[in-house]
Amino acid sequence: MGKVVITGAGVISSLGDSLDEFHAALCKGQNAIKPIELFPTAMLGCPLGGEIKGFDAQMYLGKRNLRPLDRTSRLVASAAQLALDSSGWTEEMRNNEEVGLILGTMFCSVRTISEFDRRALEAGPTYASPMDFSNTVINAAAGQTAILHNLRGVNTTVSTGNTSGLKAIAYATDLIRSGRARALLAGGAEELCFESFYGFDRAGLLCRSERQSGDFPIPFDTRRNGMALGEGAALMMLEDAESARERGVRVLAEIKGYGCAYHCSRGREESAVEAIAISMRRALDDAEMLPHEIQCLSASANGSRQGDRDEAQALVATFSSNSHRLPVTAIKSMLGETLGASGAMQALDMVETMRDGVLPGTINLGETEDDFPFPWISTVRRKIDPHNGLINSVGFDGHCCSLILARGVESLC
Amino acid sequence: MSVEEIRATIKESIANIANLELVDITDHASYKDDLKLDSLTILEIAVSAEFCAAVPSSGSGLEMRRRVAVTGIGVVTSVGTGREQFWESMLAGRCGVSPVECFDTSSYSVHRGAEVKEFCAKKFVLKLDAAQLGRASQFAVAAARLALEDARVRIDSLDPGRVGVSLGTTSGEPQEIERFDDSYMSRELNKVGAEFIARYPCHMISAHVASELNFSGINMMIPTACAAGNYAIAYAFDTLRAGRADLMLAGGSDAFSRITYTGFARLGAIAPEICQPFDRHRKGMIPGEGASVLVLEPLERAVERGARIYAEVTGYGLSCDAHHMTAAHPTGDGAARAMQQALAESGIRPEDVSYISAHGTGTPTNDRLETVAVKRVFQETAYSIPISSVKSMLGHTMGAASAIEAAVCALSVFNDRIPPTINFEEPDPDCDLDYVPNYAREHRVNVAMNNAYAFGGNNASLVLKKCEV
Repeated sequence: MGKVVITGAGVISSLGDSLDEFHAALCKGQNAIKPIELFPTAMLGCPLGGEIKGFDAQMYLGKRNLRPLDRTSRLVASAAQLALDSSGWTEEMRNNEEVGLILGTMFCSVRTISEFDRRALEAGPTYASPMDFSNTVINAAAGQTAILHNLRGVNTTVSTGNTSGLKAIAYATDLIRSGRARALLAGGAEELCFESFYGFDRAGLLCRSERQSGDFPIPFDTRRNGMALGEGAALMMLEDAESARERGVRVLAEIKGYGCAYHCSRGREESAVEAIAISMRRALDDAEMLPHEIQCLSASANGSRQGDRDEAQALVATFSSNSHRLPVTAIKSMLGETLGASGAMQALDMVETMRDGVLPGTINLGETEDDFPFPWISTVRRKIDPHNGLINSVGFDGHCCSLILARGVESLC
Repeated sequence: MSVEEIRATIKESIANIANLELVDITDHASYKDDLKLDSLTILEIAVSAEFCAAVPSSGSGLEMRRRVAVTGIGVVTSVGTGREQFWESMLAGRCGVSPVECFDTSSYSVHRGAEVKEFCAKKFVLKLDAAQLGRASQFAVAAARLALEDARVRIDSLDPGRVGVSLGTTSGEPQEIERFDDSYMSRELNKVGAEFIARYPCHMISAHVASELNFSGINMMIPTACAAGNYAIAYAFDTLRAGRADLMLAGGSDAFSRITYTGFARLGAIAPEICQPFDRHRKGMIPGEGASVLVLEPLERAVERGARIYAEVTGYGLSCDAHHMTAAHPTGDGAARAMQQALAESGIRPEDVSYISAHGTGTPTNDRLETVAVKRVFQETAYSIPISSVKSMLGHTMGAASAIEAAVCALSVFNDRIPPTINFEEPDPDCDLDYVPNYAREHRVNVAMNNAYAFGGNNASLVLKKCEV
């Protein structure tokens, strides 16, 4: 079974469009949750979101025809460009060899889908736009990106709610391990739009704040009252370690393993603790590691009442017998819940944490509940020396996924 | 390490975690009744005990040696629900196309579709509240239950954590967003409640299936449009081979969608009356709906429990045209690469393929280019392989299509019979292969290939083989 390594990355986020900038902003504790400008918020209970201000895909993709691409597709195509550049997969190489794309997204663009339908309702079906129709499929962003960058390998869209991005990386890992692919872009993307925002708002899942910005969401805090939505795209280039070595490229990190589980009783009284614990345990099994070999953890916690408690309890159950206390961060305190992109964003930040040894804090955090010991988590960044990090992705709908990364240096041995 | 030593180590670790005296932990003490531990502590002990044992899990080696069998088939279609009724309709060449009922088509130039009529969700959705599920979820739950029944699996014999669900779709639950749009247009958005976000996202389909049946293993939703069913089956195949699950429910589901209908109508791709794949005067596709779920399990396990094995899945191929969002590659490049990969993995030569289930939508371009791609791979043998499109009967069921067609392949392999391409009247010089016109055929089917193509240039081919144990 071959090793799978990360040889490049691209991120378009509300806190920056390079890995350095993104990680530095998170370590500084910058909060991206601000009043939304993308759409009117008058009828929303929560007017805040982690929006990418002034996003312009042309900045990354140059003078190409971007008219057929909606916001989600533009986010993905831009992140893909950055990941291809940083991993050295030039256009010429992509003509000769198959590079694939495994994209995680919860909605792709529900705005495109809804606008297409509304246009037909308003003006009649003959006025619906054929170009927009091709973007109403959930694999539109993956397809558009493949066309733009000539990605002729496996092209799969994974949609499992907030866990989509991490599951896409997990799936890509298996495809490379089993020799089905040599090089795959993998990660996730989600755009902020009225349609999904309104849905979450109506479901009472979004945070409520007295003030206009600043102090919500607060993962793991006793005062937490919901998540904030964000947006972005995060892709990594995954390659078979052997071929990466042959190409002589730098290795940012290694994928050690992953685990998945599903919590069947979603929405009912029972908690998802067990499913989250199983997901982490399967990841450790897959990586052939023991809990004490994990030196830092990026939690999925986003400020939701039940979800954060379940994850905290699963962390305690899995890691409390360690002699040391495991440093935990919840970067959704700054980025918001970026849904399909979230797991991939956490993974990319983990790559940077392992490179520079700084783990971002969980901002706004005051008091945690009794069953989640405070020393595990900090409001400010910490200097650590991690060899292996675990990333959790937990959906409010029962999906769980965990991924383990190892520092790049180790993987060269 | 002796058993005694292991026992002592475990006791010590329990004492540590639960803060108990070592002497209190006797060999047969119950966590709950004797040691009075809460459930979280018990879970913690269970997790740590697994690590103590430190047995390398069978799941970690992606050896890819396990063989995978299809042992159950469940379908919901416009020509029948359940394997028996469906297969009878397929062989009889029954057509599921009728006037569209689920929305008003008076402002459209076309009016026909292949809807599933008289579907009673309550017959299948038993644990969850059927009214709270979107239509595609209801279809998927029904197909999953039918497939498990068909496979005669005793559910209580399975570890729920090792049973997974992998499904494909094109639109997810389109009727949910359409309802949202109706409220939006009538300025009644306040009518949209919590149910919108609880039902609409496409992953709720696989989530609902798992929740209904209590399966907590790997849960996957792959929305790769009209080839999604094949992608989901391929994922399940890999998951089983890698030892990440003991049984997978794999397939696809899609509900009739106004959005999809509008789009295809606008592209001029919908046939006014009937779907005539590969016919000289074919006028387009007919949108449809439905679901198909296969029970996949390791061949070894299937043989052990004496299961009926319809076919063995031997390999697949996935590729991307990277050419155009809605049009196929003019030389059939991507489609050919997918077929070649599927054959190579299966260790099967082109001339050994006995049946090809075509994507065969009935649009002028698809059928012509698909023929080009098949010839590119099979060359001269292409002329001697029967190829049929069941979309002539079922319409295009979108994300469910290739999963339904995978069921057709499995049944063809098992029964040595091939369903026809109905409505075939006049051959097209550009489509000059054997499309099994109008009547089912008896034919020895050792190997079947299932081809599917989708928006986004996504191509997926699957190979199923007669099972030789």
